[in-house]
Amino acid sequence: MKKLFHAVGLIPEKCIGCTKCLMNCPVEAIRVKNGKAVIYNEKCIDCGECIKVCPYGAHVAIRNSLEDITRYKKKIVIPSVTLYSQFGKQVEPAAINEALLKLGFDEVFDITFACDIASEILKKDIEKAEKPAISTLCPTVIRLVETEYPSLVNHLVKMLTPIEISALLTREKYQSQGYKNEEIGIFFLTPCPSWVTKISEISRNENIRINGAISISDIYPKLLKHIKSKNNESNSHISKTGLLWAYSGGQCEAIGVENSISVDGIKNVIKVLSDVENGRLDDIDYIEVLACPNGCAGGLLLVENPYNAERITKSIIDKLDFTYQIHDFSHIESKLVSDEGKKEVKYKVPVDFESAVKMIKSMNNIINILPGTDCGLCGSPSCKAFAEDVVKGLASIEDCKFISSGGFKNEG
Amino acid sequence: MEELLSVKYDIESGDFIRGGEASSNLKKLLNQLGIRSDIIKRICVACYEAEMNIVIHSVGGYIEAKIYSDHIEIIAYDYGPGIPNIELAMQEGYSTASDIAREMGFGGGMGLPNIKRSSDEFYIKSEVGKYTEIKIIIYFN
Repeated sequence: MKKLFHAVGLIPEKCIGCTKCLMNCPVEAIRVKNGKAVIYNEKCIDCGECIKVCPYGAHVAIRNSLEDITRYKKKIVIPSVTLYSQFGKQVEPAAINEALLKLGFDEVFDITFACDIASEILKKDIEKAEKPAISTLCPTVIRLVETEYPSLVNHLVKMLTPIEISALLTREKYQSQGYKNEEIGIFFLTPCPSWVTKISEISRNENIRINGAISISDIYPKLLKHIKSKNNESNSHISKTGLLWAYSGGQCEAIGVENSISVDGIKNVIKVLSDVENGRLDDIDYIEVLACPNGCAGGLLLVENPYNAERITKSIIDKLDFTYQIHDFSHIESKLVSDEGKKEVKYKVPVDFESAVKMIKSMNNIINILPGTDCGLCGSPSCKAFAEDVVKGLASIEDCKFISSGGFKNEG
Repeated sequence: MEELLSVKYDIESGDFIRGGEASSNLKKLLNQLGIRSDIIKRICVACYEAEMNIVIHSVGGYIEAKIYSDHIEIIAYDYGPGIPNIELAMQEGYSTASDIAREMGFGGGMGLPNIKRSSDEFYIKSEVGKYTEIKIIIYFN
Protein backbone atom coordinates (compact mmCIF):
# COMPACT_ATOMS: atom_id res chain seq x y z
CA MET A 1 0.00 0.00 0.00
CA LYS A 2 1.49 3.30 -1.07
CA LYS A 3 1.60 6.10 1.44
CA LEU A 4 -0.86 8.86 0.69
CA PHE A 5 0.74 12.23 0.22
CA HIS A 6 -1.41 15.32 0.45
CA ALA A 7 -0.45 18.86 -0.43
CA VAL A 8 -2.90 20.25 2.09
CA GLY A 9 -1.26 20.16 5.49
CA LEU A 10 -1.58 21.64 8.96
CA ILE A 11 0.74 23.65 11.19
CA PRO A 12 -0.40 22.44 14.65
CA GLU A 13 1.16 25.40 16.47
CA LYS A 14 -1.12 27.79 14.60
CA CYS A 15 -4.31 25.73 15.02
CA ILE A 16 -6.46 26.77 17.98
CA GLY A 17 -9.01 23.99 17.47
CA CYS A 18 -11.95 26.05 16.20
CA THR A 19 -14.59 24.42 13.99
CA LYS A 20 -14.15 26.46 10.78
CA CYS A 21 -12.36 23.84 8.71
CA LEU A 22 -14.35 21.05 10.32
CA MET A 23 -17.63 22.58 9.17
CA ASN A 24 -16.45 23.65 5.71
CA CYS A 25 -14.73 20.50 4.49
CA PRO A 26 -17.00 19.26 1.66
CA VAL A 27 -16.08 15.61 2.25
CA GLU A 28 -15.98 15.63 6.08
CA ALA A 29 -12.28 14.72 6.11
CA ILE A 30 -11.40 16.87 9.13
CA ARG A 31 -11.79 16.20 12.85
CA VAL A 32 -10.62 18.22 15.84
CA LYS A 33 -8.71 16.02 18.27
CA ASN A 34 -7.19 17.32 21.50
CA GLY A 35 -7.74 20.88 20.41
CA LYS A 36 -6.07 20.53 16.99
CA ALA A 37 -7.43 19.83 13.52
CA VAL A 38 -6.60 16.45 12.03
CA ILE A 39 -6.99 15.73 8.30
CA TYR A 40 -7.95 12.18 7.40
CA ASN A 41 -5.74 11.52 4.40
CA GLU A 42 -7.85 8.78 2.87
CA LYS A 43 -10.83 11.15 2.65
CA CYS A 44 -9.04 14.42 1.76
CA ILE A 45 -9.48 15.48 -1.87
CA ASP A 46 -7.02 18.43 -1.75
CA CYS A 47 -9.67 21.01 -2.65
CA GLY A 48 -8.11 23.56 -0.29
CA GLU A 49 -11.40 24.76 1.26
CA CYS A 50 -9.79 24.44 4.73
CA ILE A 51 -6.93 26.70 3.65
CA LYS A 52 -9.44 29.29 2.45
CA VAL A 53 -11.53 29.34 5.63
CA CYS A 54 -8.83 29.03 8.32
CA PRO A 55 -8.57 32.41 10.08
CA TYR A 56 -5.23 31.48 11.70
CA GLY A 57 -3.26 30.32 8.68
CA ALA A 58 -2.94 26.86 10.18
CA HIS A 59 -3.90 25.01 7.00
CA VAL A 60 -1.24 25.33 4.33
CA ALA A 61 -0.43 24.14 0.85
CA ILE A 62 2.85 22.26 0.74
CA ARG A 63 4.93 23.13 -2.35
CA ASN A 64 8.44 23.54 -3.70
CA SER A 65 10.47 26.71 -3.50
CA LEU A 66 12.34 28.35 -6.35
CA GLU A 67 15.65 27.30 -4.77
CA ASP A 68 14.77 23.65 -5.47
CA ILE A 69 15.45 24.12 -9.18
CA THR A 70 19.20 24.63 -8.60
CA ARG A 71 19.63 20.90 -8.01
CA TYR A 72 19.23 20.24 -11.73
CA LYS A 73 21.53 20.86 -14.66
CA LYS A 74 18.67 21.61 -17.05
CA LYS A 75 15.79 23.56 -15.52
CA ILE A 76 12.48 23.63 -17.39
CA VAL A 77 9.32 25.36 -16.22
CA ILE A 78 5.81 24.42 -17.29
CA PRO A 79 3.56 27.35 -16.38
CA SER A 80 -0.12 26.75 -15.82
CA VAL A 81 -2.12 28.62 -18.48
CA THR A 82 -3.61 30.65 -15.64
CA LEU A 83 -0.25 32.42 -15.15
CA TYR A 84 -0.88 34.66 -18.15
CA SER A 85 -3.99 36.18 -16.57
CA GLN A 86 -2.22 37.41 -13.44
CA PHE A 87 -0.55 40.60 -14.64
CA GLY A 88 -3.33 42.58 -16.28
CA LYS A 89 -4.21 42.67 -19.96
CA GLN A 90 -1.34 44.91 -21.02
CA VAL A 91 1.35 42.38 -20.16
CA GLU A 92 1.57 39.83 -22.90
CA PRO A 93 2.58 36.19 -22.43
CA ALA A 94 5.97 36.64 -24.14
CA ALA A 95 6.99 39.20 -21.51
CA ILE A 96 5.97 36.84 -18.72
CA ASN A 97 7.95 33.99 -20.26
CA GLU A 98 11.01 36.23 -20.56
CA ALA A 99 10.72 37.11 -16.88
CA LEU A 100 10.57 33.39 -16.03
CA LEU A 101 13.90 32.85 -17.76
CA LYS A 102 15.42 35.61 -15.63
CA LEU A 103 14.41 33.67 -12.52
CA GLY A 104 16.84 30.93 -13.51
CA PHE A 105 14.94 28.62 -15.82
CA ASP A 106 16.60 27.44 -19.05
CA GLU A 107 13.35 26.92 -20.90
CA VAL A 108 9.69 27.85 -20.58
CA PHE A 109 7.70 25.04 -22.12
CA ASP A 110 4.67 26.33 -24.03
CA ILE A 111 1.82 24.61 -22.26
CA THR A 112 -0.69 25.90 -24.82
CA PHE A 113 0.92 23.46 -27.28
CA ALA A 114 0.10 20.63 -24.88
CA CYS A 115 -3.42 22.04 -24.44
CA ASP A 116 -3.96 21.88 -28.22
CA ILE A 117 -2.75 18.26 -28.28
CA ALA A 118 -4.96 17.43 -25.30
CA SER A 119 -7.95 18.98 -27.08
CA GLU A 120 -7.45 16.70 -30.09
CA ILE A 121 -7.08 13.60 -27.92
CA LEU A 122 -10.06 14.65 -25.81
CA LYS A 123 -12.32 14.82 -28.88
CA LYS A 124 -11.71 11.12 -29.40
CA ASP A 125 -11.69 10.09 -25.75
CA ILE A 126 -15.08 11.59 -25.04
CA GLU A 127 -16.52 8.98 -27.39
CA LYS A 128 -14.88 6.14 -25.46
CA ALA A 129 -16.06 7.03 -21.95
CA GLU A 130 -19.49 6.27 -20.54
CA LYS A 131 -21.96 9.13 -21.13
CA PRO A 132 -21.73 11.78 -19.85
CA ALA A 133 -17.93 11.82 -20.06
CA ILE A 134 -16.30 13.66 -17.15
CA SER A 135 -13.14 15.77 -17.49
CA THR A 136 -9.96 14.80 -15.64
CA LEU A 137 -8.03 18.08 -15.69
CA CYS A 138 -8.78 18.75 -12.03
CA PRO A 139 -7.07 16.28 -9.66
CA THR A 140 -9.53 17.13 -6.90
CA VAL A 141 -12.41 16.01 -9.10
CA ILE A 142 -10.70 12.69 -9.89
CA ARG A 143 -10.13 12.05 -6.20
CA LEU A 144 -13.71 13.04 -5.37
CA VAL A 145 -15.06 10.61 -7.96
CA GLU A 146 -12.82 7.81 -6.67
CA THR A 147 -13.71 8.29 -3.02
CA GLU A 148 -17.34 9.46 -3.06
CA TYR A 149 -18.68 8.50 -6.50
CA PRO A 150 -16.89 5.24 -7.40
CA SER A 151 -19.78 4.24 -9.66
CA LEU A 152 -18.78 7.09 -11.98
CA VAL A 153 -15.16 6.00 -12.56
CA ASN A 154 -16.03 4.77 -16.07
CA HIS A 155 -17.24 8.26 -16.94
CA LEU A 156 -13.76 9.78 -16.49
CA VAL A 157 -11.97 10.47 -19.76
CA LYS A 158 -8.65 8.71 -20.04
CA MET A 159 -6.57 11.43 -21.66
CA LEU A 160 -3.46 12.79 -20.00
CA THR A 161 -3.69 16.42 -18.95
CA PRO A 162 -1.71 19.18 -20.71
CA ILE A 163 0.65 19.28 -17.72
CA GLU A 164 1.54 15.60 -18.11
CA ILE A 165 1.83 15.91 -21.88
CA SER A 166 4.21 18.86 -21.42
CA ALA A 167 6.36 16.86 -19.00
CA LEU A 168 6.51 13.91 -21.37
CA LEU A 169 7.55 15.98 -24.38
CA THR A 170 10.11 17.97 -22.39
CA ARG A 171 11.79 14.96 -20.83
CA GLU A 172 11.92 13.18 -24.19
CA LYS A 173 13.51 16.21 -25.82
CA TYR A 174 16.32 16.60 -23.29
CA GLN A 175 16.95 12.88 -23.02
CA SER A 176 17.41 12.75 -26.78
CA GLN A 177 19.93 15.59 -26.42
CA GLY A 178 21.95 13.35 -24.11
CA TYR A 179 20.91 14.62 -20.69
CA LYS A 180 20.60 12.04 -17.95
CA ASN A 181 17.20 11.70 -16.35
CA GLU A 182 18.41 13.05 -13.01
CA GLU A 183 19.90 16.12 -14.68
CA ILE A 184 16.54 17.22 -16.04
CA GLY A 185 14.47 19.27 -13.60
CA ILE A 186 10.89 19.91 -14.71
CA PHE A 187 8.80 22.23 -12.56
CA PHE A 188 5.13 23.06 -12.80
CA LEU A 189 3.92 26.55 -11.86
CA THR A 190 0.74 25.58 -10.09
CA PRO A 191 -2.44 27.52 -9.40
CA CYS A 192 -3.60 25.05 -6.73
CA PRO A 193 -2.47 22.53 -4.09
CA SER A 194 -4.26 19.62 -5.74
CA TRP A 195 -1.70 19.67 -8.56
CA VAL A 196 1.09 19.42 -6.00
CA THR A 197 -0.44 16.16 -4.83
CA LYS A 198 -1.01 14.95 -8.37
CA ILE A 199 2.61 15.64 -9.29
CA SER A 200 3.83 13.57 -6.39
CA GLU A 201 1.58 10.75 -7.61
CA ILE A 202 2.59 10.84 -11.26
CA SER A 203 6.30 11.06 -10.42
CA ARG A 204 6.20 7.28 -10.06
CA ASN A 205 5.86 7.14 -13.85
CA GLU A 206 9.32 7.80 -15.37
CA ASN A 207 7.93 9.20 -18.64
CA ILE A 208 5.83 11.96 -17.18
CA ARG A 209 7.85 12.73 -14.06
CA ILE A 210 7.65 16.32 -12.85
CA ASN A 211 10.26 17.22 -10.25
CA GLY A 212 8.30 19.78 -8.35
CA ALA A 213 5.45 22.28 -8.14
CA ILE A 214 6.02 25.95 -7.44
CA SER A 215 3.14 28.17 -6.37
CA ILE A 216 2.31 31.03 -8.72
CA SER A 217 1.61 33.26 -5.71
CA ASP A 218 5.13 32.55 -4.39
CA ILE A 219 6.97 33.68 -7.50
CA TYR A 220 4.51 36.45 -8.34
CA PRO A 221 6.48 39.26 -6.64
CA LYS A 222 9.74 38.06 -8.22
CA LEU A 223 8.14 37.99 -11.65
CA LEU A 224 6.72 41.49 -11.22
CA LYS A 225 10.27 42.84 -10.84
CA HIS A 226 11.36 41.33 -14.14
CA ILE A 227 8.35 42.03 -16.30
CA LYS A 228 9.17 44.94 -18.57
CA SER A 229 7.42 45.33 -21.86
CA LYS A 230 4.10 47.10 -21.94
CA ASN A 231 1.88 48.03 -24.86
CA ASN A 232 4.28 46.39 -27.28
CA GLU A 233 2.98 44.78 -30.40
CA SER A 234 2.10 41.20 -29.65
CA ASN A 235 4.93 38.83 -30.46
CA SER A 236 3.69 36.06 -28.24
CA HIS A 237 3.79 32.78 -30.05
CA ILE A 238 1.31 30.91 -27.92
CA SER A 239 -1.98 29.34 -28.85
CA LYS A 240 -5.27 31.13 -28.36
CA THR A 241 -7.19 27.85 -28.14
CA GLY A 242 -4.68 26.60 -25.56
CA LEU A 243 -5.24 29.64 -23.36
CA LEU A 244 -8.94 28.81 -23.20
CA TRP A 245 -8.13 26.07 -20.70
CA ALA A 246 -7.56 28.75 -18.04
CA TYR A 247 -11.16 29.22 -16.97
CA SER A 248 -14.39 27.28 -16.58
CA GLY A 249 -16.04 26.56 -19.92
CA GLY A 250 -12.87 27.18 -21.91
CA GLN A 251 -12.08 23.51 -22.31
CA CYS A 252 -15.47 22.81 -23.86
CA GLU A 253 -14.97 25.77 -26.19
CA ALA A 254 -11.48 24.60 -27.16
CA ILE A 255 -12.65 21.13 -28.16
CA GLY A 256 -15.87 22.43 -29.67
CA VAL A 257 -18.17 19.99 -27.97
CA GLU A 258 -21.61 21.52 -28.01
CA ASN A 259 -23.72 19.13 -26.02
CA SER A 260 -21.78 19.82 -22.84
CA ILE A 261 -21.91 21.65 -19.53
CA SER A 262 -19.18 23.23 -17.44
CA VAL A 263 -19.41 23.17 -13.67
CA ASP A 264 -17.08 24.85 -11.19
CA GLY A 265 -16.91 25.30 -7.42
CA ILE A 266 -16.70 22.23 -5.21
CA LYS A 267 -20.30 22.39 -3.92
CA ASN A 268 -21.69 22.67 -7.46
CA VAL A 269 -19.45 19.82 -8.53
CA ILE A 270 -20.85 17.58 -5.80
CA LYS A 271 -24.41 18.43 -6.85
CA VAL A 272 -23.74 17.67 -10.51
CA LEU A 273 -21.96 14.38 -9.79
CA SER A 274 -24.97 13.30 -7.71
CA ASP A 275 -27.23 14.13 -10.64
CA VAL A 276 -25.02 12.05 -12.94
CA GLU A 277 -25.24 9.17 -10.50
CA ASN A 278 -29.04 9.43 -10.45
CA GLY A 279 -29.06 9.17 -14.23
CA ARG A 280 -30.40 12.70 -14.72
CA LEU A 281 -27.67 13.85 -17.10
CA ASP A 282 -27.33 10.83 -19.37
CA ASP A 283 -28.10 12.85 -22.52
CA ILE A 284 -25.05 15.11 -22.09
CA ASP A 285 -21.84 14.23 -23.97
CA TYR A 286 -19.24 15.94 -21.82
CA ILE A 287 -19.04 17.63 -18.44
CA GLU A 288 -16.13 19.91 -17.72
CA VAL A 289 -15.77 19.63 -13.96
CA LEU A 290 -13.46 21.93 -12.00
CA ALA A 291 -13.32 22.24 -8.22
CA CYS A 292 -12.44 25.94 -7.92
CA PRO A 293 -14.74 28.89 -8.62
CA ASN A 294 -14.50 29.69 -12.36
CA GLY A 295 -12.19 26.73 -12.86
CA CYS A 296 -8.40 26.92 -12.65
CA ALA A 297 -8.59 30.72 -12.70
CA GLY A 298 -10.02 30.40 -9.18
CA GLY A 299 -7.05 28.39 -7.91
CA LEU A 300 -6.02 29.03 -4.35
CA LEU A 301 -2.42 29.88 -5.24
CA LEU A 302 -3.29 32.65 -7.71
CA VAL A 303 -3.32 36.38 -7.12
CA GLU A 304 -5.94 37.77 -9.53
CA ASN A 305 -9.68 37.53 -8.89
CA PRO A 306 -10.95 34.51 -10.88
CA TYR A 307 -13.56 36.46 -12.84
CA ASN A 308 -11.22 39.29 -13.71
CA ALA A 309 -8.66 36.64 -14.70
CA GLU A 310 -11.17 35.37 -17.24
CA ARG A 311 -11.63 38.85 -18.68
CA ILE A 312 -7.87 39.32 -18.94
CA THR A 313 -7.41 35.93 -20.59
CA LYS A 314 -10.11 36.75 -23.15
CA SER A 315 -8.46 40.04 -23.93
CA ILE A 316 -5.10 38.31 -24.48
CA ILE A 317 -6.80 35.69 -26.67
CA ASP A 318 -8.32 38.46 -28.79
CA LYS A 319 -4.86 39.78 -29.61
CA LEU A 320 -3.51 36.37 -30.61
CA ASP A 321 -4.05 34.86 -34.01
CA PHE A 322 -2.25 31.59 -33.58
CA THR A 323 -3.28 28.01 -32.86
CA TYR A 324 -1.14 24.91 -33.14
CA GLN A 325 -2.35 22.74 -36.00
CA ILE A 326 -2.29 19.30 -34.47
CA HIS A 327 -3.02 16.89 -37.31
CA ASP A 328 -1.14 13.76 -36.47
CA PHE A 329 -0.50 12.97 -32.87
CA SER A 330 -0.50 9.20 -33.25
CA HIS A 331 3.25 8.96 -32.67
CA ILE A 332 2.83 10.27 -29.16
CA GLU A 333 -0.69 9.10 -28.50
CA SER A 334 0.38 5.61 -27.48
CA LYS A 335 2.41 7.08 -24.64
CA LEU A 336 -0.30 9.43 -23.61
CA VAL A 337 -2.85 7.04 -22.22
CA SER A 338 -3.59 7.81 -18.63
CA ASP A 339 -3.93 4.99 -16.13
CA GLU A 340 -6.57 7.01 -14.30
CA GLY A 341 -9.60 5.05 -15.39
CA LYS A 342 -7.85 1.70 -15.30
CA LYS A 343 -7.43 1.79 -11.57
CA GLU A 344 -9.55 -0.60 -9.59
CA VAL A 345 -12.22 1.27 -7.71
CA LYS A 346 -10.54 1.96 -4.40
CA TYR A 347 -13.61 2.47 -2.30
CA LYS A 348 -13.93 -0.65 -0.18
CA VAL A 349 -15.38 -1.01 3.25
CA PRO A 350 -12.90 -3.07 5.27
CA VAL A 351 -15.60 -5.19 6.89
CA ASP A 352 -17.90 -7.91 5.65
CA PHE A 353 -21.54 -7.22 4.94
CA GLU A 354 -22.89 -8.62 8.24
CA SER A 355 -20.62 -6.48 10.39
CA ALA A 356 -21.31 -3.44 8.20
CA VAL A 357 -25.02 -3.91 8.92
CA LYS A 358 -24.26 -4.21 12.64
CA MET A 359 -22.18 -1.07 12.46
CA ILE A 360 -25.00 0.92 10.87
CA LYS A 361 -27.47 -0.37 13.44
CA SER A 362 -25.28 0.77 16.33
CA MET A 363 -24.72 4.07 14.50
CA ASN A 364 -28.47 4.60 14.32
CA ASN A 365 -28.78 3.83 18.03
CA ILE A 366 -26.17 6.47 18.81
CA ILE A 367 -27.76 9.04 16.49
CA ASN A 368 -31.00 8.62 18.43
CA ILE A 369 -29.43 9.83 21.68
CA LEU A 370 -27.49 12.72 20.12
CA PRO A 371 -28.97 16.24 20.09
CA GLY A 372 -28.80 16.61 16.29
CA THR A 373 -27.56 20.17 16.52
CA ASP A 374 -24.28 19.47 14.65
CA CYS A 375 -22.45 21.85 16.98
CA GLY A 376 -19.02 20.42 16.24
CA LEU A 377 -17.79 20.63 19.84
CA CYS A 378 -17.08 16.90 19.86
CA GLY A 379 -14.59 17.39 17.03
CA SER A 380 -16.71 15.73 14.32
CA PRO A 381 -18.48 17.79 11.66
CA SER A 382 -22.00 16.52 12.42
CA CYS A 383 -23.86 14.29 14.86
CA LYS A 384 -24.13 11.68 12.13
CA ALA A 385 -20.40 11.76 11.42
CA PHE A 386 -19.77 11.60 15.17
CA ALA A 387 -21.92 8.47 15.49
CA GLU A 388 -19.91 6.87 12.71
CA ASP A 389 -16.64 7.91 14.38
CA VAL A 390 -17.78 6.36 17.69
CA VAL A 391 -18.70 3.08 16.01
CA LYS A 392 -15.38 2.99 14.16
CA GLY A 393 -13.49 3.64 17.39
CA LEU A 394 -12.28 7.08 16.30
CA ALA A 395 -14.20 8.95 18.98
CA SER A 396 -15.71 8.26 22.38
CA ILE A 397 -19.38 8.90 23.15
CA GLU A 398 -18.24 11.05 26.08
CA ASP A 399 -16.69 13.49 23.59
CA CYS A 400 -20.23 14.76 23.03
CA LYS A 401 -20.60 17.71 25.40
CA PHE A 402 -24.35 17.17 25.43
CA ILE A 403 -24.06 13.53 26.53
CA SER A 404 -21.27 14.18 29.04
CA SER A 405 -23.36 16.87 30.71
CA GLY A 406 -26.31 14.56 31.23
CA GLY A 407 -28.30 14.52 27.96
CA PHE A 408 -31.99 15.31 27.66
CA LYS A 409 -33.82 16.06 30.86
CA ASN A 410 -36.86 13.87 31.03
CA GLU A 411 -39.75 16.19 30.35
CA GLY A 412 -42.21 13.44 31.29
CA MET B 1 -35.09 -14.38 4.42
CA GLU B 2 -34.38 -12.09 7.33
CA GLU B 3 -34.53 -8.37 6.82
CA LEU B 4 -31.29 -6.88 8.13
CA LEU B 5 -31.94 -3.18 7.95
CA SER B 6 -34.63 -0.86 6.78
CA VAL B 7 -34.98 2.86 6.19
CA LYS B 8 -38.03 4.93 5.38
CA TYR B 9 -38.12 8.38 3.82
CA ASP B 10 -41.25 10.53 3.62
CA ILE B 11 -41.61 12.27 0.28
CA GLU B 12 -43.56 15.49 -0.12
CA SER B 13 -45.56 16.25 -3.22
CA GLY B 14 -44.26 19.11 -5.36
CA ASP B 15 -41.02 19.54 -3.39
CA PHE B 16 -38.49 19.72 -6.21
CA ILE B 17 -35.90 21.33 -3.96
CA ARG B 18 -35.62 18.43 -1.55
CA GLY B 19 -36.62 15.81 -4.11
CA GLY B 20 -33.66 13.50 -4.55
CA GLU B 21 -32.66 13.49 -0.90
CA ALA B 22 -34.01 10.01 -0.27
CA SER B 23 -31.92 8.48 -3.03
CA SER B 24 -28.86 10.42 -1.99
CA ASN B 25 -29.24 9.26 1.64
CA LEU B 26 -29.82 5.70 0.50
CA LYS B 27 -26.67 5.90 -1.61
CA LYS B 28 -24.58 6.92 1.41
CA LEU B 29 -25.96 3.97 3.35
CA LEU B 30 -25.18 1.52 0.54
CA ASN B 31 -21.65 2.91 0.27
CA GLN B 32 -21.16 2.27 3.97
CA LEU B 33 -22.36 -1.28 3.46
CA GLY B 34 -19.71 -1.78 0.78
CA ILE B 35 -22.20 -2.63 -1.99
CA ARG B 36 -20.59 -2.82 -5.45
CA SER B 37 -20.56 0.58 -7.14
CA ASP B 38 -22.28 -0.52 -10.37
CA ILE B 39 -25.12 -1.97 -8.29
CA ILE B 40 -25.34 1.26 -6.31
CA LYS B 41 -25.70 3.21 -9.54
CA ARG B 42 -28.67 1.07 -10.61
CA ILE B 43 -30.28 1.46 -7.19
CA CYS B 44 -29.69 5.24 -7.34
CA VAL B 45 -31.36 5.56 -10.73
CA ALA B 46 -34.37 3.46 -9.74
CA CYS B 47 -34.81 5.13 -6.37
CA TYR B 48 -34.40 8.64 -7.79
CA GLU B 49 -36.97 8.08 -10.53
CA ALA B 50 -39.42 6.57 -8.05
CA GLU B 51 -38.85 9.46 -5.68
CA MET B 52 -39.42 12.07 -8.38
CA ASN B 53 -42.55 10.22 -9.51
CA ILE B 54 -43.97 10.79 -6.05
CA VAL B 55 -42.88 14.45 -6.08
CA ILE B 56 -44.35 15.13 -9.53
CA HIS B 57 -47.51 13.02 -9.77
CA SER B 58 -48.81 12.21 -6.31
CA VAL B 59 -50.13 13.95 -3.24
CA GLY B 60 -47.21 12.59 -1.22
CA GLY B 61 -45.91 9.27 -0.03
CA TYR B 62 -42.84 7.45 1.13
CA ILE B 63 -39.92 5.32 0.02
CA GLU B 64 -38.94 2.36 2.09
CA ALA B 65 -35.77 0.41 1.50
CA LYS B 66 -35.33 -3.02 3.05
CA ILE B 67 -31.91 -4.55 2.97
CA TYR B 68 -31.38 -8.30 2.95
CA SER B 69 -28.12 -10.20 2.79
CA ASP B 70 -28.22 -10.57 -1.00
CA HIS B 71 -30.67 -7.95 -2.25
CA ILE B 72 -32.46 -4.69 -1.62
CA GLU B 73 -36.21 -4.24 -1.82
CA ILE B 74 -37.49 -0.73 -2.45
CA ILE B 75 -41.11 0.18 -1.99
CA ALA B 76 -42.31 3.50 -3.35
CA TYR B 77 -45.81 4.16 -2.07
CA ASP B 78 -47.94 7.23 -2.69
CA TYR B 79 -51.43 8.30 -1.70
CA GLY B 80 -53.02 8.92 -5.06
CA PRO B 81 -54.14 9.82 -7.67
CA GLY B 82 -53.32 6.33 -8.97
CA ILE B 83 -52.67 5.16 -12.52
CA PRO B 84 -55.75 4.36 -14.65
CA ASN B 85 -53.88 2.36 -17.29
CA ILE B 86 -50.65 0.81 -16.05
CA GLU B 87 -49.80 -0.77 -19.40
CA LEU B 88 -49.92 2.66 -21.03
CA ALA B 89 -47.88 4.26 -18.23
CA MET B 90 -45.16 1.68 -18.73
CA GLN B 91 -44.66 2.73 -22.35
CA GLU B 92 -41.59 4.84 -23.04
CA GLY B 93 -42.46 8.46 -23.74
CA TYR B 94 -45.94 8.29 -22.23
CA SER B 95 -46.39 11.01 -19.63
CA THR B 96 -49.08 12.86 -17.73
CA ALA B 97 -46.68 15.38 -16.21
CA SER B 98 -47.56 19.06 -16.16
CA ASP B 99 -45.89 21.50 -18.57
CA ILE B 100 -43.93 23.04 -15.69
CA ALA B 101 -42.49 19.68 -14.67
CA ARG B 102 -41.55 18.96 -18.27
CA GLU B 103 -39.83 22.28 -18.64
CA MET B 104 -37.68 21.34 -15.69
CA GLY B 105 -36.63 18.20 -17.52
CA PHE B 106 -38.94 15.87 -15.65
CA GLY B 107 -41.92 13.98 -16.94
CA GLY B 108 -40.32 12.78 -20.16
CA GLY B 109 -42.26 9.57 -19.86
CA MET B 110 -39.18 7.54 -19.04
CA GLY B 111 -39.69 7.24 -15.27
CA LEU B 112 -41.38 3.88 -14.97
CA PRO B 113 -39.50 2.26 -17.88
CA ASN B 114 -36.21 3.45 -16.35
CA ILE B 115 -37.10 2.04 -12.96
CA LYS B 116 -37.99 -1.28 -14.53
CA ARG B 117 -34.81 -1.34 -16.60
CA SER B 118 -32.64 -0.67 -13.56
CA SER B 119 -34.19 -3.37 -11.41
CA ASP B 120 -34.09 -7.16 -11.37
CA GLU B 121 -37.71 -7.53 -10.33
CA PHE B 122 -40.41 -4.92 -10.77
CA TYR B 123 -43.99 -4.92 -9.46
CA ILE B 124 -46.58 -2.19 -9.68
CA LYS B 125 -50.12 -1.91 -8.42
CA SER B 126 -52.43 1.03 -8.30
CA GLU B 127 -55.99 2.04 -7.62
CA VAL B 128 -57.37 5.22 -9.15
CA GLY B 129 -58.03 7.88 -6.53
CA LYS B 130 -56.24 5.88 -3.85
CA TYR B 131 -52.62 4.84 -4.26
CA THR B 132 -49.76 3.62 -6.39
CA GLU B 133 -47.23 1.14 -5.07
CA ILE B 134 -44.04 0.17 -6.85
CA LYS B 135 -41.91 -2.62 -5.49
CA ILE B 136 -38.52 -3.36 -6.95
CA ILE B 137 -35.79 -5.81 -6.11
CA ILE B 138 -32.13 -5.45 -7.01
CA TYR B 139 -29.63 -8.19 -6.21
CA PHE B 140 -26.17 -7.38 -4.89
CA ASN B 141 -24.33 -9.96 -6.98
